[in-house]
Amino acid sequence: MNYSKTRNTIFSEQARVFEHNAQAGNQYVMRLRAPLTASHAKPGSFIHMQCNPELLMRRPMSIMRADKNTGWIEILYKVHGDGTMRLAKRKVNDIVDILGPIGVPFKLGGYRKFPLLIGGGVGIPPMIFLAEHILKTAPAVHPLVIMGSEIPFPFKARPSKIMVSGMPEGVIAAMPLLDDWGIPSRLASLQGFAGCFEGYVTGLARQWLDSLKPDLNNEVEIFTCGPTAMLEAVSQLAHEYTLPCQVSMEEYMACAVGGCAGCTVRVETDDGPAMKRVCVDGPVFDAASVFPPR
Amino acid sequence: MSLDERNKAMLAIDFCGLKFNSPLVLLSGCVGFGEEYTRVSGFSNTDVGAVCLKGTTLEPRLGNPPHRIAETYMGMLNAIGLQNPGAHKVVEEYLSKLDFSETRFIANVSGSTIEEYAEVTRIFDDSPIDAMEINISCPNVKEGGVAFGNDPDMSARVVEACRNVTKKTLITKLSPNQTNIAENARRCIEAGTDALAVINTLMGMVIDIEERKPVIGNNQGGLSGPAIKPIALLKVHQVYQVSRQHNVPIIGQGGITTANDALEFIIAGSTAVGIGTALFYDPLICPKINAGIIDYLNRYKLKNVTDLIGTLKLHEDGGGECSG
Ligand SMILES: Cc1cc2nc3c(=O)[nH]c(=O)nc-3n(C[C@H](O)[C@H](O)[C@H](O)COP(=O)(O)O)c2cc1C
Ligand code: FES
Repeated sequence: MNYSKTRNTIFSEQARVFEHNAQAGNQYVMRLRAPLTASHAKPGSFIHMQCNPELLMRRPMSIMRADKNTGWIEILYKVHGDGTMRLAKRKVNDIVDILGPIGVPFKLGGYRKFPLLIGGGVGIPPMIFLAEHILKTAPAVHPLVIMGSEIPFPFKARPSKIMVSGMPEGVIAAMPLLDDWGIPSRLASLQGFAGCFEGYVTGLARQWLDSLKPDLNNEVEIFTCGPTAMLEAVSQLAHEYTLPCQVSMEEYMACAVGGCAGCTVRVETDDGPAMKRVCVDGPVFDAASVFPPR
Repeated sequence: MSLDERNKAMLAIDFCGLKFNSPLVLLSGCVGFGEEYTRVSGFSNTDVGAVCLKGTTLEPRLGNPPHRIAETYMGMLNAIGLQNPGAHKVVEEYLSKLDFSETRFIANVSGSTIEEYAEVTRIFDDSPIDAMEINISCPNVKEGGVAFGNDPDMSARVVEACRNVTKKTLITKLSPNQTNIAENARRCIEAGTDALAVINTLMGMVIDIEERKPVIGNNQGGLSGPAIKPIALLKVHQVYQVSRQHNVPIIGQGGITTANDALEFIIAGSTAVGIGTALFYDPLICPKINAGIIDYLNRYKLKNVTDLIGTLKLHEDGGGECSG
C-alpha cells in the first residue's frame, strides 16, 4: 500500500514551558520545549495547543521561532478569550499538550531580492520566523519587515540602527530582535506610538514601494499575516504593483488536521470556487486566490 | 494466547457480519475521508473497528460560510453544511487511498431528496466500501437531513429506498431533535435498516454579544461533545428497548471522551461506540479508551466486550418518564 505522504507529519508533544513573559497589551511570549515540532517547523507552520486540560478545545498558534538544535519553539499570543486567559496562567515548567508542526508553510527559497514582510497584531509571529529563515538561508536577500498594531507592540520598540530609504520623516521605531539580526523593520499604528508611522501598514508599504526606482519594483515580493481586513488590503496593494503575494490565514479550528472542514476559506481555483481548509491546505495561500483583485 | 492477542480478542466484535477490531468507531464529519488523522504520528486506524467518512451527496457541495465552528461549555457547535466533493469523486479518488486491511470504512450517505439518498447508496454499493450510514439527521442543511429524520414516515421511506439498491450493511443515523426516537427507530428497522447510529448532534446557537450576531455563519449549528452525553445515553437506552427485539445493533455516540463514557453507552445497549469531538481534544485517545475497556472487562472477568451490551439494571421502582 502506498500511503499518502502526509502520514506521521504532525507530532503530539508534552511540551515543557521554558519561558513565559508578559509583554505590553496583555500579550505573552511563550517558549516551549518541543523537539520534534522544532525540527520540522517552517515559517508559516503552527501548533494546535491545549491551553489548559480543563478546556477541551485546542487553540491554533503560529510559530514565531524554532530552534532545531536545542529543541524549543516560541509563540506569541494576546489574551482575548477563555483559552488564552487560561494559557496566560501557565507557569514555567508546566507541561502543555501540543500538536505540531501543522500546515503548508510559505514557499521558501527562490526569493526576489527585496521581500516585504507585513505582519499585523498576532499575525506578526510568522513574519519573524520567515525573516530569521531568510537571514540564515538566503544572505543575498534583503527583507524589510513592516508591522502594525493598534495595541502596544509585543516588544519594546527602539530607534533603528538600520537606514531604510523612502521612509517618512520620523518613522524610526524598530523591533530590537530584528534590528540586532541586521534586518530592517518599521512600525505602523493609528495610536500615535513614538517613532511609528501614523496610519496603516499598507500606507507605509506604499510609501516605500513608491520610493523604489521603477525597475526595482519587480524585485519585490510580499509575505503577510494578520487580520483579514489587513490581508485583503495588502493583497490589493500587491495586485496594484503586480507583486507576488502569499497570505497566511486564520480561522477557528476544531481538529487542525484536516478532519472536520471547520476552518475553511473560499479560494478561487482553476476549477472554480473551492472551500479550502486553513489548517492543512493552508494556512498560506496565494493572495489573489483568497482575495481576487477587485 | 499472548496478552496482546487476548486483549485484541476481548475487543473484537462482529457488527452485522463485519469484523471490527474494537467497538470504537470514528464518527462522520470528524475524520474527513479516512486518511486525515494519519497525519498525527502515533495515530492508527487499526485502533478502531470502523471509520465513518464525511457526509456525501450526489453532487459536490461547498458547504456553509464561515465561521463553521464555535466552542461551548463542554462541547462545540458545528455547521459545516456537508461540504464534500460528490459521491463519484469520493469513490474514485478517496476510497483508493484507504487501506481496507486497517479497519472497516463506512460511507455517510446524505441528500436533499429520497432519490438522491438512493442514488448515493447505489454509487457506494458499487465500490469497496464496507457499509453505508444513512444520515437523516444532519441539522445543518436546508433540505433533507434532519427534516427527513424528524418525520418517521419520511425516515422509513428514505431507508426503504436505500435498502432497495444495496445488500451491504445499512446503518441509519437518528436525530435527537425529535419527539419519539424509539418509534422512529422501529419504523427504520421495519424499512430494512441493519443497524442504528444514536445520536447525531442537537441544534444550538452561540451569540457574539458585541456584534449581536450568531457566531456561526449558518446562524445555528449542531452541538456535540461531553455536553450532550446524558441526552445521548438516554436516547440509546430508549432505542435499545426496540432494537433488541429485532437484534439490530446500535452505534452509541454523543460526547464520549473516556473509557467510562464508552462503557456507559455499551451498558445502555450499544454494540459499538462512536468517537467524534473527543478526537479534537486528543487525537491519540482511541488506544487509551481501548485500554480502559479491557481493564474493566478484566475487573469483571468478562471475555468479550459484547458480554456487556445492554446489561443495565434499572431501578425497579424508577419512574422513567417523569422527572423534576
Ligand atoms: C465537525 C462535525 C461534523 C460532522 N459532520 C457529520 C456528517 O457529515 N454526517 C453525520 O452523520 N454526522 C456528522 N457529525 C456528527 C457526528 O458524527 C456525531 O454523531 C456527533 O458529533 C456526536 O458525537 P461526538 O459528541 O462524539 O462528536 C459531525 C460532527 C461534527 C463535530
Ligand atoms: S480545523 Fe478541522 S479541518 Fe481544519
